[in-house]
Amino acid sequence: MTRDPVSEDRDCGADAAACALGALDPEQAEHFRRHLESCAVCRDELTAFRLVVDALPMAAHQHRVPPSLRRQIMRDVRAEPGRAAGRAKRLRPRRLPARLVSRPALAAGLAAAVALVILGGLELAPGGSSRTRAIQASVTGVSGAARLQVTGGHAELVVSHLPPPASGHIYEVWVKRGHHAPSPTSALFSVTRSGAADVGVPGSVRGVSTIMVTQEPAGGSLAPSHAPVIVAQLT
Amino acid sequence: MQLVADRDAHAFEVIFDRHGSAAFSLAYRMCGRRPMAEDVVQDAFLSLWRTGARYSRTRGSVRAWILGVVHNRAIDAFRRGAVKESRDVSDDGIAERMEASERTEAEVATRAEAQEVRTALGELPAEQRGVIELAYFGGFTHTQIAEMLELPPGTVKGRMRLGLAKMRLALGDPAEVVP
Repeated sequence: MTRDPVSEDRDCGADAAACALGALDPEQAEHFRRHLESCAVCRDELTAFRLVVDALPMAAHQHRVPPSLRRQIMRDVRAEPGRAAGRAKRLRPRRLPARLVSRPALAAGLAAAVALVILGGLELAPGGSSRTRAIQASVTGVSGAARLQVTGGHAELVVSHLPPPASGHIYEVWVKRGHHAPSPTSALFSVTRSGAADVGVPGSVRGVSTIMVTQEPAGGSLAPSHAPVIVAQLT
Repeated sequence: MQLVADRDAHAFEVIFDRHGSAAFSLAYRMCGRRPMAEDVVQDAFLSLWRTGARYSRTRGSVRAWILGVVHNRAIDAFRRGAVKESRDVSDDGIAERMEASERTEAEVATRAEAQEVRTALGELPAEQRGVIELAYFGGFTHTQIAEMLELPPGTVKGRMRLGLAKMRLALGDPAEVVP
């Protein structure tokens, strides 16, 4: 591959265009950033080109955002801790669009008892009042990985490489306090094609000992009907 | 935007309704496949929500900022190889465009603005338009483009510069085009 050297002042304007388009190689981009500190012409040119590049997305033919995508995003937003979520009443499980529950995958063998394995915790931001604790969750009966991030009494479950729920089913998040039976939450979710999902656990997790995920019929259940596939132990 | 930073779901919904379609259109153009475009848009907006949407006016308009996040997410997806086969920089033939009878007033305005930008890009000489599209919508670096087109890298950068300069003239002040 032929590599042109990072431009010197003589033709730095060409670098400004490529930089605005995000088309410089990382090393060249870093050199150009340093060059900008001493070249007012390039700074002006880069600013002007960036305004053009900011307009480029509109060159794409315009489509309306799919309603199912809007619903999914807003469902995820409302399921996560936040001002609005803090005010929200406990939601009844809702039936989800078919596209979220359409791919068969989970085998029937989820009946095995789940070993509650805590692989460890990690303080991500020591010293602050909003420290984040990452708890590795156990995943049983299916492939994939999961961890729980707990910040200030709120928790977010981050899963990866999880298979989609079976057709007509959805994943449901449960919270368990001490020896009480698991309580359902309004957090129902599926996963992206890569098996990823970030799911806010509704409400505070103070006093919660275990967070678990089961596969349930679309719309959710009031009591678990399957063995958990994800278990995270908080205490 | 401050309300979004404060994690007000209603404010976030308003922002999504204003910019979601433009975000989806960009992702669709870059990915060429609806499911992947949906994943990109979902990742982008949820990251904005989770990070407290650290928007600063110095970054330009809210829309430019959001579309920049979508653009970066799409390129991340390219680099993970998720859409390797579909990096088609043309969106010809993509279905489900906004049909005239279905458009709202805001969508009509957006569409007119989009037409203006598309015309400015379309009027560039093909070799300049091509390198700009490959870089922006395809996520390729200028050295990758030079290899593809069997051109010296300096020529590619020169074409990018000429093309953007002409678009700048055609659009006037792009800051007015992208409020």
